[in-house]
Amino acid sequence: MTSFLGKQLPLLVAFFAGVTMVIAFFTSEQTISNFAQDQLVWVTIVGGFALMLGAVSITTVSINHIKQRKEGWQYRIPLLVFLALTLGSAILEGTEQGTMYDWVFQKMYTPMDSTMFSLLAFFIASAAYRAFRARTIEATILLITATIVMLGRVPMGRIIFSYLPQVTDWIMNYPNLSVQRGIIIGAALGAASMSLRIILGVERTYLGRS
Amino acid sequence: MASRVAEFLSSIDRRYIFLLISLSVVFPLIFKFPLPVAISPETQALYDRVDSIPDGSTVMLTFDYYPSTLAETEPMSIAALKHLWRKNMKIVTMSTVGLGGPSIAERVMATMAKEFNRTYGIDYVNLGYKANYTAVLLGLGTSFRAIYPTDFYGTPLDSLPMMQNVDKYGDLKFIYIVSDNGIVDYWVGLANAQFGASMGAGVTAVMAPKFYAYVRAQQLVGLLGGMKGASEYEFLVGSEGMATAGMGAQSMVHLTIIGLIIIGNFAYFWGRRRR
Repeated sequence: MTSFLGKQLPLLVAFFAGVTMVIAFFTSEQTISNFAQDQLVWVTIVGGFALMLGAVSITTVSINHIKQRKEGWQYRIPLLVFLALTLGSAILEGTEQGTMYDWVFQKMYTPMDSTMFSLLAFFIASAAYRAFRARTIEATILLITATIVMLGRVPMGRIIFSYLPQVTDWIMNYPNLSVQRGIIIGAALGAASMSLRIILGVERTYLGRS
Repeated sequence: MASRVAEFLSSIDRRYIFLLISLSVVFPLIFKFPLPVAISPETQALYDRVDSIPDGSTVMLTFDYYPSTLAETEPMSIAALKHLWRKNMKIVTMSTVGLGGPSIAERVMATMAKEFNRTYGIDYVNLGYKANYTAVLLGLGTSFRAIYPTDFYGTPLDSLPMMQNVDKYGDLKFIYIVSDNGIVDYWVGLANAQFGASMGAGVTAVMAPKFYAYVRAQQLVGLLGGMKGASEYEFLVGSEGMATAGMGAQSMVHLTIIGLIIIGNFAYFWGRRRR
């Protein structure tokens, strides 16, 4: 019974759900289309529960971290406080403008998140100065291309050399595009084969270790 | 002497580099100087497509971005909104990013609605966020109401005047995606490839190179790449905003980084030759 619930049933559900979606794509039969649509609604509901699971998980992990006084345990305290604060205020007041949740988000989270992201510019500059060397032919090509694109993507580039935007467009539309297409097609084929493996029950890692 | 210069340049404290970058950002923001605007073909194509949509049509504008990239993405949303509302379009907004997207959408839409004197439910609707973007994007192709029975505020879609005749991608004239992540792949793969929805995108500079492939395949009608793309769109719309203001800073930072790379290489090769 345990084996059926833990292995066969999830495999059957995955097979059934996957095959239904594939059939729904190729047919306009209303019953199948409706069922596929229902499945999509179920997935969004499951997704909502997954978010809840994430909140429970981070709370449990953080409490254990604090209890055991693991390195950086102090940082877990504001995490839990603000998790409770945002969750509580969102449940009690909602998330619209003027609520506490919105205030925390707009006045605290947004500037902090933007600050963290903008720090990248400083580290990129420092890393480029120390590590971006024309040691090999490939590195030199990369360096020259990067320089052209960096200049071509800002208005100042046009002042330096009027054809730089066109050169940049050419780089983006030919060398870049051909590589990107290869990556996109490769990734799509990989996704298709992985989907097939899951539908047919060959790929079972989502079932867990036991 | 020469080897000492090379050694000095190689071992320069990174805090001086940070200071240099800070100055490169702050200086052009204080002392503004005019810069030429070259419109890229991708931006022009997006603008032309939006411009060709009949006035009063219903379109979708997405807020698929995190607060960290607001500097690049928000000016795109604002410029797009100005363009769409000057043509009196009805706008459905939504987000596939739970962390911030709906709140950003609410703030931006409320601010712009005040400027353009638009009413919620009649001129625009915010659908908010639903978990699992793949299912959401696929589901919207058949029924908005199945995925979003209510809007961001919990109002049933049926009770919103604007949504009376809108229930699937086919009811929208255009989808304007503003994103800082790979969700554009899914918009193209699900909404465009499967349901034929016409769409264009504004993305961060770091994401833009990937999406040129979709522009050339005509799955995206146009593309805004980073703050530069946003500033070009602002120029076309005739309303210079934050992106245009940031072009000076971005130009200076790019030039500084290029200068640093040249100095770094110079020090490296000079030092190596000396040894």
